[in-house]
Amino acid sequence: MKKQSKPRVAFFDFTDCEGCQLQFANMGQTFLELTNLVDIVSFREIMSEEGQDYDIAIVEGSITTDNDVTRIKKIREKAKVLVAFGSCATIAGVNGIKNRSSLELAKKRVYGDKAGTINSIKAMPLDAVVKVDYYILNCPPYIPEIIAVLKAILMGKPYPLPNYAVCVECKMNENVCRYEKDQECMGPVTRAGCNSWCINNGNRCYGCRGLVEKPASDAAKDILQKYGLKVEDILNSFTLYNDSMGEKYDQELK
Amino acid sequence: MKYASLKKSDLNDWLKHLQKKAKLYAPRKKENLFVFRPVKEVEDVCLEYIPTILPPKKYYFPQKEKLLKFSSQPFKTAKAIEKFDEFILFGVHTCDIAGIQCMDVAFRDAPEDPNYLNRKDKMTIIGIECLKYCDEYANCTSMGNHVPRGGYDLMMVDIGEKFIIHINSEKGERLVTKLDYIKEASEADMNALERVREAKKKIFKEEFTAALPKVYDAFDKRFASDVWKDVGRRCVACGNCTAVCPTCYCFDTADDMELSLNEGIRYRIWNSCQMDDFAKVAGGEDFRKGRDGRQRHRYYRKFKYPVDKYNRYFCTGCGRCTRTCMADISLIETVNSLLKEEAL
Repeated sequence: MKKQSKPRVAFFDFTDCEGCQLQFANMGQTFLELTNLVDIVSFREIMSEEGQDYDIAIVEGSITTDNDVTRIKKIREKAKVLVAFGSCATIAGVNGIKNRSSLELAKKRVYGDKAGTINSIKAMPLDAVVKVDYYILNCPPYIPEIIAVLKAILMGKPYPLPNYAVCVECKMNENVCRYEKDQECMGPVTRAGCNSWCINNGNRCYGCRGLVEKPASDAAKDILQKYGLKVEDILNSFTLYNDSMGEKYDQELK
Repeated sequence: MKYASLKKSDLNDWLKHLQKKAKLYAPRKKENLFVFRPVKEVEDVCLEYIPTILPPKKYYFPQKEKLLKFSSQPFKTAKAIEKFDEFILFGVHTCDIAGIQCMDVAFRDAPEDPNYLNRKDKMTIIGIECLKYCDEYANCTSMGNHVPRGGYDLMMVDIGEKFIIHINSEKGERLVTKLDYIKEASEADMNALERVREAKKKIFKEEFTAALPKVYDAFDKRFASDVWKDVGRRCVACGNCTAVCPTCYCFDTADDMELSLNEGIRYRIWNSCQMDDFAKVAGGEDFRKGRDGRQRHRYYRKFKYPVDKYNRYFCTGCGRCTRTCMADISLIETVNSLLKEEAL
């Protein structure tokens, strides 16, 4: 039987820190095993060669310029499968903070008197511009989830994102609740799937995966009251990673 | 021998002895709370503890458990776990023992659950009776679980200098015989036990405003109560209440392939009626869309449905769901509100 050729994978980045791609390099042995299943044709963090033909595009970063819009559309045309990779690509991530003020003000803050010469648009996740087939959330992505999504792609299966809170996984890991320790934590409203990675390691949840589909904002207020936290505290964390939701919750919570 | 006695100063020696007999799990401190953990140093075992974050359920119904291993080319399946090992749960509160009894009822119901039953076969339970309340969240007295009601191999009671150990099974008896520091309880010991139990009656009072049959009636009649709307409004759907419940046994099953994409395992993982899409079926219909309906379901799964099906309440009174609730939803308050409404 003729051996089928392996799907070709290319990596792309938009506005971001490129830390997501680094997670592939951090996989160690597993990364080598992955190369048995796919051909990596373009990945500038780890190789010099660059192929122009690919089947699977793994794209990180947010769309923040008109040029980005053109470029992501071209990638979409070429790729059979497009994967939004990391918080910036899936929910606009930290870049979304830009959207909290007017574009003019944001540009002025960053570029000062050169603001007029810069092309900049609202920070957007990829799916605001093109169709996305698979989402790998998190900042940076959680390696076991990267693998799970890749396996789903290779088997041609969907990868349904969990629609429950990080608390579910956190309790299974039997962590002491951050609220018990007088810290605000985004766990109760953040979409699970990271196996409560941060809390397991003594940190708290910053909501880098975005919110669950129907977060209970009324109940969230009750939690704040119970633990004596200020709306401002939680808003700062709510919006660290997500503008579109942030804006909405800004209004709802106030 | 029916009752034995153990000096507290000999407890660590006994723990070391138990360590040699089987895998030993006991409560220990974790930050400001408690967890069951494998015992490495016997000094870490903590017998004065409020209910652990997760009940010992994780040892007989693990959070994520392999069921099958399989390969697709050629197609083959086999049990994922061939052999279960002997283990001892040490220092289990009577509420958590009640939880194990509930699990027994549910998992022995046809079709029997072999993974649970195989683990249960290897389990030895050494309980400890609470002599004071852990905190204000427990409702063990109303559930009748503040006192030992069977379901254990050995039960320890602290009478001051000593523990009195009730021997309730042959398996348990083997762990206390042929040890020079464990003796048959004397008459004085038994009198001391009697006094401790008497003193306890003054401390533990029913937490619900009515007896259990009335609670059942209230649930029977108050399905449409506003109490559920109120609870639903406050619920944030974090799923903490069901994760920590000693009698919640719902799980989901899924397959996980190796990177070879040929071999894989089928596993089960805790699932909960509090999750948004738990009751969603093919076609997108959701039978319990609201948080009110989902919270109500959780309560009915403790105070109504299992009573109808198994003649047993599935609330143990451990208080974990209240203790862990992000939104301050209290089981005692909810049940009492329902009782109050029913009395009107």
